[in-house]
Amino acid sequence: MQSIISKGKSVKEAVEMGLKLMKVNESDVNIEILQQETKGVMGIGRKTAIVKLFRQERFDSYTKSDHSDDDLYATMDKLIEASSLDQDQVPFVHHELHEDKQLKTNQLEELEGKAWVKNGKIFVKESATQFPLVKISENVQLIKNNQIVTNKKTVVSEADLLEIKWEEEQKKETNWQVTIDELKLKVMLEVEPGYRLTREIRDVEPNQQIELVADEYYEAINTLTYEDVINKMKELRVTYGFNQNEILKALEAKENNTYEIATGKQAKPGIDGWVELNIDVDPQNGLFEDESGKVDFREIKTIPTVDQGAIIATIHSPTPGQPGITVMNEPLPAKRTHPIIMKAEKGAMVVKDKVVATESGRPFVEKRGQLCKVSVIPKLVHQGNVNLSSGNIRFNGDVEIRGEVEENMVVEAGGDIVAFKSINHSNLITSKSIVTYGSVISSELSAGKNNMLIVEIGHLLGIIHAQVEKMIMLIKQLMVAPAFKSTDFSRTGLQPLINILLEKKFNGFRQYVRSYVKVTNKGKNYLEDECWLHVSASLSRIFLALSNQVISLEMIVKLSEKMKELHEFSKTPVEPEAFITISNTLNSSLYSSGNIIIIGKGSVNTKIHAGGLLKISGIVRGGELYGRLGVDINEVGSNSGTKTFIAVPSDQKIKMNKAMEGTVIKIGHITYVFQQTKYHVDAHLDSEGRMIFN
Amino acid sequence: MFKYSTIEKEKDIEVHLEGDLDIDGTEVVKEELIPMLQEYEQIKINFEKVLFVDSSGIGLLLELVQSLQKKEKKVSIINVTENVANVFELLQLPEILGEEVFL
Repeated sequence: MQSIISKGKSVKEAVEMGLKLMKVNESDVNIEILQQETKGVMGIGRKTAIVKLFRQERFDSYTKSDHSDDDLYATMDKLIEASSLDQDQVPFVHHELHEDKQLKTNQLEELEGKAWVKNGKIFVKESATQFPLVKISENVQLIKNNQIVTNKKTVVSEADLLEIKWEEEQKKETNWQVTIDELKLKVMLEVEPGYRLTREIRDVEPNQQIELVADEYYEAINTLTYEDVINKMKELRVTYGFNQNEILKALEAKENNTYEIATGKQAKPGIDGWVELNIDVDPQNGLFEDESGKVDFREIKTIPTVDQGAIIATIHSPTPGQPGITVMNEPLPAKRTHPIIMKAEKGAMVVKDKVVATESGRPFVEKRGQLCKVSVIPKLVHQGNVNLSSGNIRFNGDVEIRGEVEENMVVEAGGDIVAFKSINHSNLITSKSIVTYGSVISSELSAGKNNMLIVEIGHLLGIIHAQVEKMIMLIKQLMVAPAFKSTDFSRTGLQPLINILLEKKFNGFRQYVRSYVKVTNKGKNYLEDECWLHVSASLSRIFLALSNQVISLEMIVKLSEKMKELHEFSKTPVEPEAFITISNTLNSSLYSSGNIIIIGKGSVNTKIHAGGLLKISGIVRGGELYGRLGVDINEVGSNSGTKTFIAVPSDQKIKMNKAMEGTVIKIGHITYVFQQTKYHVDAHLDSEGRMIFN
Repeated sequence: MFKYSTIEKEKDIEVHLEGDLDIDGTEVVKEELIPMLQEYEQIKINFEKVLFVDSSGIGLLLELVQSLQKKEKKVSIINVTENVANVFELLQLPEILGEEVFL
């Protein structure tokens, strides 16, 4: 024993007792008096003497010691540590040798001003100078004098009636649920395992400040059984694609998790039917510039031709998809595949899965979605001028005109029109492309007429369809309104209701219908599909005419479906696109559903509408120009100040190498007027809809 | 059955409609109400006892009110039950006849 703390009625007594315990003489120790005894008055305020005795030769013997002694010293050190750290150990030494009475007194004095926790109970010993402070942790309540302490800290005294309260056990049941996704391809099991949370109040050694802490013991208890899962699956009629492993994992789950316990088989999509072209039918884009920007008019790509009996195309039927299986073991149909709808027109014939040319000529293949038209277009070559002596040319095939087209003549073709010389005050119309090598003066050229028409009426129909859908919704809503009687529908039809609707709610609707009817009537000859005209007739009967015909909701619904179909169709791009390629033009109108390319000197006072890109390598002076897929011009404007107006949709660009003063450009709804000449303009809208020029 | 009764006071009149305002009220409205009401300056149409309407009936109402408005009479429609008002709203009657008509 290297040191000892000893207590006694007097210092002397304490020292004597310490020496006795250490079995040493007074000369062998150093004595430190920790507390002098106080007599007190009648036992009040009495204090014992406390001394600490250190063995003197401790260091010496430690340094002298040989290895064999090490263990001994180690043991001693441990004891010392124990005794100096743990005050309780000191009285334990006394226990064996001295009377309990003194010991108890010592002990109590040690505890003065302190509180401690043992077995879930709190104990307090006051002192004259200090109250112990108790910190209260979460999940623990301290009841002081029958009141719950709400503060996080409180002082306690012996007089207080103290009790610790805490929730000893907290339980939660296992929660789980099984869900099936919309497609019935996945069964998900979500498990929240239950648990038991037990709490114990931690014992706290006496101290002036103590903290009440509840120790928590968490134990996950997952009560989900295999049977539970299987029964639930039975209830949901899940019979296919069980993932046993995942189920077992779910049963073992200690934490919240989701398991895919059954998986169906997804349907494999099939491949739509398609057309394989056995010959090259791609018409070349007319005239081409070489690297130096020159055009060699002699270098026209030869238009492909086929002889009678040649196979133009092979039709491949769709490959059906593979049906899947839902977790309920129901077949899941694969997405329907669509076959090619082949229309063999003039000069072509379908033989089994082949399209064969029945005439010699230029094969023409047009595709729009799954609809495919094949024809062999004969070619008409007109050697001289088109004038009063030749008469107008109307030919359902390609037309090649070697001479001029003179004043007030019309050339209408089902195929491409190629004119070698100038065109004056005339009309050229085709549903395909136009190429001219001469000037176009005061004429009207229209390529891809039917496509343009379809785009135009398709757009109108889109608006009309959206409004009719709204109308149908409203009518249905009305029919379920409690105060609305639909009895008169059987007598007068929907006409009175429609009249009310058109009065305000669908004000302006009639205008769209009128436009649609007007445009379809005008373009009658170019509309191959009669559905457009049928819709036109139905629309005017229901919404324009004041006929007495009884109109039912079904009629409107049917019409709406038809309109939707046509509108969708009109949005499908047609291939190949028609185009116009000319050398230069003056005072004319050019319409093309595809690109318009002017490769000569340019365009003067001409109105140009391109459904594709508009590209002019020369100069533009005056006129109105529109390029749905952008505009690219070398030079725009004139010194005389003739107004030139160029427009593109909001997502397209206008490029100009030189834009002279007075040029007006419009992108989307934003218009800009050039106040002075600008070079290298690349105008477009930024993300905020402002026009920028680079 | 569609009926009506009136309370008059000089140039003012309040018309109490009773029953469903529907296609069967065509004659009453067109041949009696419209000609008769032209005599008055301020016309109140009380809808308290109209529980159902149909599209023809609403057409009649529009015709009635608009014919009076054309002659610059002050027309108001009062005490419309909730369900009927709901139908009027759906058809945007207040927008057609003017918000001030519905009190």
